[in-house]
Amino acid sequence: MADHQNIYLLLSAILFTIGCGGVLTRKNAIVVFLCIEIMLGAVNLVFITFSRANTSPEGIFMVMCVMAVAAAEAAVGLAIFVLLYRKTGSINIDKFNLLKW
Amino acid sequence: MEYALVLFCGIIAIATAIMVVVSRNTVHSALWMIGNCVIIAALFLLLHFPFIAILQVIVYAGAIMMFILYAIMMLNLRHSDDSADIAGNISMGRYLILALFFVGVVVLGIGFGPMALQGSMTEPAMMKFGEVELLANYIFSEGLIPFELVSVLLTAAIVGAIYLAKKD
Repeated sequence: MADHQNIYLLLSAILFTIGCGGVLTRKNAIVVFLCIEIMLGAVNLVFITFSRANTSPEGIFMVMCVMAVAAAEAAVGLAIFVLLYRKTGSINIDKFNLLKW
Repeated sequence: MEYALVLFCGIIAIATAIMVVVSRNTVHSALWMIGNCVIIAALFLLLHFPFIAILQVIVYAGAIMMFILYAIMMLNLRHSDDSADIAGNISMGRYLILALFFVGVVVLGIGFGPMALQGSMTEPAMMKFGEVELLANYIFSEGLIPFELVSVLLTAAIVGAIYLAKKD
C-alpha cells in the first residue's frame, strides 16, 4: 500500500492547478506548452500513486502511454510553433485568433 | 524519514512549477521545467518505481525538454513582444474558478482513495521478479493493442511534424 498517498494526491492536485493557471494566464505559446507538460506530470503522479496503492500494472502502463503521447505532442506542437513563427513573426497566442468567431 | 523526504520533494516540485509559470524569460521557464521533471522522477523513486523514474528522466528531462530548448533557440524570441506576455487584467473570477477547480480535484482524488483492488504487483512479486518483468508481462498480454497503437501514433506524429516544418 502507498505509504503517504494523500500527500501525493494533494501534491499532484496543486501541480495540476499551477499548470492550469499558467495555461490561463501566460501568452507565450511555449510557456503554455510547458504548463501543459506540468499538468501531464501531475497526472502521471496520480497514476503512479494509484498503481502503487492497488498493486496493479495498469497505472504504470498508462504513464508510459502518456509519455509517448507527450513526446508526439511536443513534436507536432513545436512544428506548429515554428510554422506560426515563420508566418507571423510571433508566438503570442492572442494573435492567433483566426478560428475565433 | 521518508515522509520528510516526500514533503521536501513536494515543496521543491511546487516551487519549480511556480517558477515555470512566473519566469519572464522563456529559456528560464524551460530550465525550471527540467528541474520539475527531475524532481517528479525523484517522487516516482520514492514510490518505489525506479524504472518509471529512469524513463521520466530520459524521456521528459532528456528528450522532450531538449527538444523544446532547441525549438526556443530556432525561434529567436528576443524580438518578440515580451512586455505583454503575462496577461495584465486577469479578473478575480478566473482565480476563483481555479480555486474551485483545485478543491474539486482534491475531493475527487482523496474521495477515490485506495480501492483495495489487488493486482499482480504485490510486494513479494515485486521483490521476486522486479517491476520491469511484471510490466512487460502486462504490456505483451493485455496491453498489446494500446501498445501497438502508441507506435502508430508516434509514426503519425513524426510524419506530421516533418510535413508541417518543412519549407514549402
